[in-house]
Amino acid sequence: MGENSGSLVQGTLDMLILKTLALEPMHGYGIAQRIEQISGGVFHVNPGSLFPAFRRLERSGWIKPVWKPTENNRNAKYYAMTERGRKQLKSETEEWGRQSAAITRILESC
Amino acid sequence: MPLWTNFTGGLRALFRKPEAERDMDDELRAYMDAAAEANRRAGMSEADARRAARVEMGSVESVKEEIRGAGWESALEAFWTDIRYSFRLLAKTPVFTGVVLATLALGIGANTAIFSLLDAILLRSLPVSHPEQLVEITKSTLTNPLWEQLRDQQDMFSGVFAWGNASFNLAQGGLVRNADGLWVSGDFFRTLGVAPAAGRLLAVDDDRPGCAPRAVLSYNFWQDHYGGAASAIGSTLVLTGHPFEVIGVAPRGFFGMLVGYKFDVAAPICATTAFDGRRSRLPQRSWWWLKAAGRPKPGIGMAALKARLAAMSPSIYGASVPQNWDREMQERYRKRVLEPFPASTGLSFLRKQYEDPLHVLMAVVALVLLIACANIASLLLARAAAREREMAMRQALGASRFRLIRQLMTECILLSLGGALLGLAVAQWGNRILVHYLSTVRTTVFLDFSPDARVLAFTTGIAVLTGLLFGAGPAFRGTRGSLTTTIKETHATDRGIRRRFRLGVVAMQVALSLVLLVTAGLLLRSFRNLAAVDLGFDQRHVLVANVNLVKGQTPAAFQQIGDSLRAQPGVAAVSQSWTTPLSNQEWNTNIRPDAPNPPKGDAALVYFNYVSPAYFETMRTPLLAGRNFSNQDSATAPAVAVINETLARKFFPGLNPVGRTYQAEGEARKLEAPVLIVGLAKDAKYEAVQEATLPTVFRPLAQIEGMGTSVNYEIRAALPVDAVTRSIQKAIADVNKGTSVEIHALAAQVDDSMTRERMLATLAAFFGALALLLATIGLYGTLSYLVAQRRVEFGIRMALGAQARAILGLVMGDVVLLLIGGLATGMMLSLASTRFLRNMLFGLEPRDAATLILSAALLCFVCIGASLMAARRATKVDPMTALRHD
Repeated sequence: MGENSGSLVQGTLDMLILKTLALEPMHGYGIAQRIEQISGGVFHVNPGSLFPAFRRLERSGWIKPVWKPTENNRNAKYYAMTERGRKQLKSETEEWGRQSAAITRILESC
Repeated sequence: MPLWTNFTGGLRALFRKPEAERDMDDELRAYMDAAAEANRRAGMSEADARRAARVEMGSVESVKEEIRGAGWESALEAFWTDIRYSFRLLAKTPVFTGVVLATLALGIGANTAIFSLLDAILLRSLPVSHPEQLVEITKSTLTNPLWEQLRDQQDMFSGVFAWGNASFNLAQGGLVRNADGLWVSGDFFRTLGVAPAAGRLLAVDDDRPGCAPRAVLSYNFWQDHYGGAASAIGSTLVLTGHPFEVIGVAPRGFFGMLVGYKFDVAAPICATTAFDGRRSRLPQRSWWWLKAAGRPKPGIGMAALKARLAAMSPSIYGASVPQNWDREMQERYRKRVLEPFPASTGLSFLRKQYEDPLHVLMAVVALVLLIACANIASLLLARAAAREREMAMRQALGASRFRLIRQLMTECILLSLGGALLGLAVAQWGNRILVHYLSTVRTTVFLDFSPDARVLAFTTGIAVLTGLLFGAGPAFRGTRGSLTTTIKETHATDRGIRRRFRLGVVAMQVALSLVLLVTAGLLLRSFRNLAAVDLGFDQRHVLVANVNLVKGQTPAAFQQIGDSLRAQPGVAAVSQSWTTPLSNQEWNTNIRPDAPNPPKGDAALVYFNYVSPAYFETMRTPLLAGRNFSNQDSATAPAVAVINETLARKFFPGLNPVGRTYQAEGEARKLEAPVLIVGLAKDAKYEAVQEATLPTVFRPLAQIEGMGTSVNYEIRAALPVDAVTRSIQKAIADVNKGTSVEIHALAAQVDDSMTRERMLATLAAFFGALALLLATIGLYGTLSYLVAQRRVEFGIRMALGAQARAILGLVMGDVVLLLIGGLATGMMLSLASTRFLRNMLFGLEPRDAATLILSAALLCFVCIGASLMAARRATKVDPMTALRHD
């Protein structure tokens, strides 16, 4: 299957999930969809990495589960961002900005 | 906080498992539903939409597995699974498990036992409040006036105290029953911060001049002699004929300041007057019998304490100068300085004597454990070979190699922890034996062996370490095979590398065993040398009776008792003396001979004993020249002496000492009147078997100044010792029923003098034999295994016409290589390590060639024997059965 485009840079999935949740609480599928849509189909997140990431983030106290009715009125597990998650996103975004700028500089210099 | 959410989340997952699982299922189902819904909206049919969603999700189980894996609790769960699985496996092979556990119990038990001894003697803090604050004040002993000056002048301790040892006789007449006593100053118990188990403890007011005789019992003494009854408080206890009122009991486990010894009864220092008679020790300025310690006030550090003590030393020493010393010595006395030393672990005579031996023993048991580990590793390798297919199968089914190794290591750690648990029990038993070895006939060593945190940590530590040590190799090797090669493999395959590894392990065992055998050999020969020393007297069949007179008996009673003893059946000879050889009671002073170039200073020190004329005959110490004492050498007759050969050589070189005189230095180094030397006796040991014989002067007992109320009788028995012991008691009771006597064999005194050497030699021999046994088992087991593995090869060779001899040669070739390698390594290790024994060896060098060669020969002999037994099985292979087997 030689497609590279769908795989994420190591460690960025957590940041993307946090960013997605910054607006409103969402459930698992919604998050996956949102990431795929916004990235213009570049990133495709499969459940095998998405759910362990939820577990990690939850354990770190950056997101918390909330139970809400879905559009078709079934109770589903939504994830909401915590205050600490917001801080984490901020610092990760800054760090990412610094790193990607640096990488771009390096790549363009040659 | 992340740690906290992580922790609680994990706990919830562990303890609310069904709920957590349901959550996970719901969440994944919701995801699938949402995905299917999206697909439907994109125009797929119902069935296609569902299938696409399922394809995207992949295996639900593996997603769940990944989610579980994201939390720490999954590792815990896997660990628990490993433990249960290991238990089942070990229970299925009871013989293997039993052998491993027994080996480990011995190995770890020996290590724990020696370590607890080391801990009890060297490391353990005193069982008092805040022992780390305690400070010993000067290493030397103090006189009572000096102690009183220190007590009254000091200003930086919240409490200071002094103590001295005593021995009380509980019996009133007849055989002595000794109680270990402690003279303590008033503040002893308060400063140490111990609370009474019953009644009250001695306080400052109990230690005033002219005090009432009061005593505090130790907890064990209270239990043993009073059954722990409350009525003990207020009762009267007679100590060496003096009544004391029991006022309380010290707490359980409290033994005072001296590690290795306990006290039964503690009495205030002021009460010594009743025991000393006319010459009380309290005002004596040159009677050194007290030790002092204290607890500094809060905030006073060691440096400040040292400076302050140094500053007040001139005043403290200045007020307690011994008046009868000469000016020069008094000046030196005034310049002494009190120094503080940390005393959190108490003080002990055992430390200096046993520190090195304990470290040697620690190394010895560590080596034994290492050899045992090699044996277990060998067993595990064989087990791993039998489980090779299982391992390959599990790997093929998806278990990672790491997972398999983890499970194998869990097995090993379980085994070693089980071994450690048994080992603790073995150690408890071993400790009792060890204390027995440390104790002498006259002193019982008392040590606290209750396992403390340090011992438990040590045992757990070595258990885990040994588990890793014997488990790691087999675990890595056992999981290396790939499925296809393993399943194709048959027993006919000669696994060359594995064979070399196994032979290497055995060679290592041989090397370590050699080190232990050499150590044991050296210590045994050293002990034998010691036991073979010519003591200069014949201790066999001699009993020593130490007699204490009661009030009202005069020294004339000694004569009566002697006559009464002589009249008993079975008594061949009786003599009297002030001290007996190797009894630790000694008297020495400098002498000046009437010969040219007399030795000066410490070289002029000689040792004294006062004996009756029959002494030399009873002890069988021959007189070489001159005459023996006779009854004419009375108190009023001219002073005479018999000297030993060493003294003659040192003070009268090349001269005939008989007929010459010497002068002894009395108090304040004043020379006393000349004493005429009338005889020369053969050299005999005075202080210890190990000593280079000390220059000794014998004087007639009749010419001793201040006889005292105690004397020793040497009784040469012509009948069994028990019978004679009874006769002695009767003879003494015949004179006066109130006289108390303590009787033991002179041989016991000699044995006591070799306690340390005996313990070392016995234990080293025991562990050396154990190492030899373990190495032999290891060799035999490994060879048997290798022979069994090569059965098909041997079968083919024999079918092709090979002779039994040739097959034997094949196997023994390995053994010879292994022995050469092992012995060479062992030799080098021995040569490098035995020098640590130098100070413990008597009459031989650490690199004693004979010991080295004998040990190697013994090891060689045993190993070849064991290998021949195993190798002969190779020649018994029946070609047909062997070939049909696989």
